[in-house]
Amino acid sequence: MNAPARATRSRYVAPIPAFADAFTAARSSLPGKEAPAIQDWRQLHFDRFLETGLPTPRVEQWKYTNIARAANVPMALATRPNVGLGDVQRYFTGGPLARRLIFVNGHLASELSHVRGLPQGVRVESLGKLLQDEPEWSARALGGPAEPHSFADLNAAFLQSGAWIELGDGAVLEHPLQLLFLTVGQPAAVMAHPRIVVRLGKEARLHLIETHIGLAPGHCLTNLVGHYELGEKARLTHDRLQLGSAGTSFVGLNRQRLAERAELKQTLATLGGALVRNETDLHLVGSFVEAQLNGVYMPIGEEHVDNVIRIHHEAPDGHSDQFYKGVMDDRAHAAFAGKIIVHQDAQRTNAFQRNDNLLLSDDAEISSKPELEIYADDVKCSHGATCGELDRTALFYLRSRGLDRAQAESILTFAFAAEVIERFVDPAVRKLARECLVARTPGGAGLSDLL
Amino acid sequence: MLKITDLHVAVDGGSKPVLKGLTLEVKPGEVHAIMGPNGSGKSTLSYVLAGRDGYAVTGGSVRFQDADLLELEPEERAAAGIFLAMQYPVEIPGVANNYFLRQSLNALRRARGEPEVSAAEFIKKLKAVAERVGVDPELLKRDVNAGFSGGEKKRNEILQMVMLEPKLCVLDETDSGLDIDALKTVADGVNSLRSPDRGMIVITHYQRLLDYIVPDFVHILADGRIRKTGGKELALALEEQGYEHLLGEAA
Repeated sequence: MNAPARATRSRYVAPIPAFADAFTAARSSLPGKEAPAIQDWRQLHFDRFLETGLPTPRVEQWKYTNIARAANVPMALATRPNVGLGDVQRYFTGGPLARRLIFVNGHLASELSHVRGLPQGVRVESLGKLLQDEPEWSARALGGPAEPHSFADLNAAFLQSGAWIELGDGAVLEHPLQLLFLTVGQPAAVMAHPRIVVRLGKEARLHLIETHIGLAPGHCLTNLVGHYELGEKARLTHDRLQLGSAGTSFVGLNRQRLAERAELKQTLATLGGALVRNETDLHLVGSFVEAQLNGVYMPIGEEHVDNVIRIHHEAPDGHSDQFYKGVMDDRAHAAFAGKIIVHQDAQRTNAFQRNDNLLLSDDAEISSKPELEIYADDVKCSHGATCGELDRTALFYLRSRGLDRAQAESILTFAFAAEVIERFVDPAVRKLARECLVARTPGGAGLSDLL
Repeated sequence: MLKITDLHVAVDGGSKPVLKGLTLEVKPGEVHAIMGPNGSGKSTLSYVLAGRDGYAVTGGSVRFQDADLLELEPEERAAAGIFLAMQYPVEIPGVANNYFLRQSLNALRRARGEPEVSAAEFIKKLKAVAERVGVDPELLKRDVNAGFSGGEKKRNEILQMVMLEPKLCVLDETDSGLDIDALKTVADGVNSLRSPDRGMIVITHYQRLLDYIVPDFVHILADGRIRKTGGKELALALEEQGYEHLLGEAA
């Protein structure tokens, strides 16, 4: 059906038939079920998913993550358990005036959400409601298939809910907008497929907070797709916090396109989840774009975290900066693959990448793979990856002030990761992240004063 | 209180001798200045006293009060009362200065069997000390030394020293990188700690600092040994005549 997919088939495995069963079972209940436009849209993507299959580690971008662990089990769409205000309030961020959409296992919890009273030019809608109420428009707006992507196609087929966020030219949302995704494990293996669409017009400004919280353990795969379009001089601050619980997995693909002089500041912390993979495909389409991507991951036990980033400098005078840090303990495994592609026209590009890692255990593992692909001649690009132990000079400094070795090691481990946490713009996100960081730091109980 | 006898220390896995028979005694209340050319072993001495690894003691002994200092871990030396104000203070992004100092103070108190200091008491004292040693109160909330200027880092060391009230202060080139105003403030902080039961070792390249922290003894360290000892006038003579002349005379 699709030539590129066929050509790479040998690197993909056919999905277990359970996906087809799940699709058949779900399609009659998914939003937009009566509308041929949505039905066709879903079918198109699902057919392509069947054609492509699930990636194996032989696919370059999946080299470090064997997704079979999370996806090769029969999964039905997750149902919505009862979650009350008391269960979720502690994850509210963005301050008292923040707007909030809350999703439980991929279902919008409208009674917990609050997006009323938005200023002129700001539209925040439930994607599920749009699919149901305006199917033809939704199918057009969500667009046809780009290149095949197993999980993006799967997301389209099963798309249940999410957020449609649109700011017109010059529109500004002064207070943050939080998208809070809660995962509550269920006895059987389940999955959820939310989507976030953000469109910022010229000079529009948004502070988006995206939090993924595991409330109860269990096999649950969240497969998120994010589409971000930033117009000329638009500014997006994007704080992303991932606190999955045992057994929960997360696969996310973010596609971002930035027009001239747009600014993106994204900070991402992964502090929980059996398997978490964040894929970023960032295009600097206009000139003078500023893009900053900060990230920190701290897997423990047998957790696995994979960050895959591709930054395409397509226009001149762009600036991109990747700053990722990782702390791996126990038998955890993390991977970082960051690729910078500077197109021929993208003269005077500044592109930087750092990936620093700390291994706390002999059995922990990090795979770090920086890549540069440069076709322009007047560019400044650099990348650096480190992997090591705590700085001996700093350890001595702390001990010479009376802290014992264990305490000094705790503080330095915390500090290593906290350097990224400090880049969160929202103080409440920073606080939540610091709490989880302390909980994951060996000897962290002694650090409670840091909170 | 501190008795160093015929101390031999080597670096680079023990292959390169740096201190070659250093002997020095510091009694309570005394201030000893140690001057010497580059590579004479000044910083090595300070690190060996504070317990940094990478320095192999190949001979001699160091007694501090009643203990064999060389047997102690760095934190045990701190608890015993030794404080090293470092030449290159370390930056610790992610850890607030005031948090760090309170942890440090309480760790020392615990090790000495004293009660921990309350948050209110600590903040009161910290504010007073910060003002005295010229540390901007904003720097107390910032991460330890992160993004501090050279002078701010040195003042922060003195702030820690005054807060922790050690028995023996070792200052390793605290004057380097300081302008004259900062030098005076730092010296005031150090002088405020002078007391009959506290000893000090002031390591410096320049006589200038000793105008403000007036020593009881000046030692010239060269090639791993104390080559000449005198009063504060020795530093002045050194400033005028240089090491070569003075040491040539000694030899």
